[in-house]
Amino acid sequence: MSTGTLYTYPENFRAYKALIAAQYSGAKVKVAENFTFGETNKSEQFLKKFPSGKVPAFETADGKYLSESNAIAYFLATEQLRGGKCPFVQAQVQQWISFADNEIVPVSCAWVFPLLGILPQQKNSTAKQDAELVLQQLNKKLIDATYLAGERITLADIVVFSSLLHLFESVLEPSVRSAYPSLTRWFLTILNQPQVQAVLKDYKLCEKALVFDPKKYAEFQAKNKTGAAAQPAKPKEEKKPKEKKEPAPKKEKEPAEELDAADEALALEPKSKDPFDSLPKGTFNFDDFKRVYSNEEEAKSIPYFFEKFDAENYSIWLGEYKYNEELSKVFMSCNLITGMFQRLDKMRKQAFASVCLFGEDNNSTISGIWVWRGQELAFPLSPDWQIDYEVYDWKKLDAKSEETKKLVTQYFSWAGADKEGRKFNQGKIFK
Amino acid sequence: MCDVATVQKIANCLGVKPGKVQLNEEQVVTRTSAQNKTVAGFATILESLARESKSETAQNSTASREVQAQVYQWIEFAVLYVSPGSKDKHVAKQLLNDFNKLFINKSYLVGHFITLADLAVYYAIYDLVKSLSPLDKENYLNLSRWFDHLQQRPDIHQGEQLLNFTTIYLHNWAQGTHV
Repeated sequence: MSTGTLYTYPENFRAYKALIAAQYSGAKVKVAENFTFGETNKSEQFLKKFPSGKVPAFETADGKYLSESNAIAYFLATEQLRGGKCPFVQAQVQQWISFADNEIVPVSCAWVFPLLGILPQQKNSTAKQDAELVLQQLNKKLIDATYLAGERITLADIVVFSSLLHLFESVLEPSVRSAYPSLTRWFLTILNQPQVQAVLKDYKLCEKALVFDPKKYAEFQAKNKTGAAAQPAKPKEEKKPKEKKEPAPKKEKEPAEELDAADEALALEPKSKDPFDSLPKGTFNFDDFKRVYSNEEEAKSIPYFFEKFDAENYSIWLGEYKYNEELSKVFMSCNLITGMFQRLDKMRKQAFASVCLFGEDNNSTISGIWVWRGQELAFPLSPDWQIDYEVYDWKKLDAKSEETKKLVTQYFSWAGADKEGRKFNQGKIFK
Repeated sequence: MCDVATVQKIANCLGVKPGKVQLNEEQVVTRTSAQNKTVAGFATILESLARESKSETAQNSTASREVQAQVYQWIEFAVLYVSPGSKDKHVAKQLLNDFNKLFINKSYLVGHFITLADLAVYYAIYDLVKSLSPLDKENYLNLSRWFDHLQQRPDIHQGEQLLNFTTIYLHNWAQGTHV
């Protein structure tokens, strides 16, 4: 039976894998006392044993060293946890371990860490959607399987379970969980195994999802900086911002969220590329213009638009709905417009539009002025954007002509009438 | 189902010698153990088997008094309702529905591990599940998952042919039917 010492900060989900595996095998694992993250693992003595300086790290009783949580868990596991005698099940175990590392951990960090104040909130972050995809996959797998690999609990379950702990603790509130009944069933089964309970004593499922709190992040950053200057980053000091919200049992929580460099990189990695990236970036700044447009009168914002507009890299388009004769109720037409905006969500960063409805019930038209990066029609750039654009006639406008100026002014200020004289009724802004 | 064969099978699962199992003149199943002690009644026999067994399943079934009571309850349920009920078409449908619902958020009947309750219900419902068409199994995905999980264990299937649940991924194109 293996014995040894595990180096880790408290409540490290990676260390849990090893500790749970040890519960199954009965291996005697001592968690190193007096471990201070950022100090112990940066000491010369530690680096000699574990050159990466990362935790968890394991030292066997006879003086051999192992790093990387999955390897440590494998070492401490029983034959059954490793997948038993069947090579196929063993391979499945490896498959799920890789799945946890490559699919779950990055999205979990990207979603949860900003909420805990450890990472800045990314604008237009797709972390939540990405996580939902992963959770759906897991849920589907577990509809007809009790465990992930074979018919017994294996390292596959332990590793995937450990990687999901943050999500189930911080963001998957009951109403969200109910979308993944099989996954939740499996998660609870694993959580309630006596061997798991022995390691995770105070774990509680999320009651109410955390929301982003910029103050928390600022405090964390401040603490981190002063901490780094005085003595190399001491996570103990970062406890305070959290304690307010979560009393006693969560006390040791903060260090668990301390990211290593790899996590940080993973968490920050953009999940999908912006289709506009392939086009040259001009001088026109959409964010600035949108701010001016939202905060100032049109008398100021429209001249601002023409002053800043960069005709070389951006273009102005008139989009007219092809099937105006089919439009009936005004509110339905408005839903048509907002629905299209929603489906074009990822375009927002590099585009702006004012789409107006003219006329009244059963006698109305839809048309709008669009601005985006590039000289060509933007919709073919991404398959996600091609749902609606074909029901519009698109005409590129000459940015310099007086006519265009008039049109832009009319649409941006939500005034006037369409070609047939129907009066302006409602407008929607895509920004 | 409170028959001789089921007792023998469960004894095998638990790794216990069944001893002499027979029906007495009142058609109640009895077991005479190696120590020449005779107990009567299905639930009582199962309890005596569990006491003699060192298997994981037996240990799980006696983990706490609460677990013990729940296990006992399911064994009684298996004898009184599952076994007779599965012979009636309408009652059987209700049973399948109820179990399927139960297994939406549970992996096992009692607690979070395999117990005698699972074994008793498994053998009681075996013939009914065997009679289901693939399409029926589609309608009871959660029950199927539980059943398939148990039958895969060698100590439980004991050489019997495994029932086929592979068409289960038909649900990919019949999504939503299983909820």
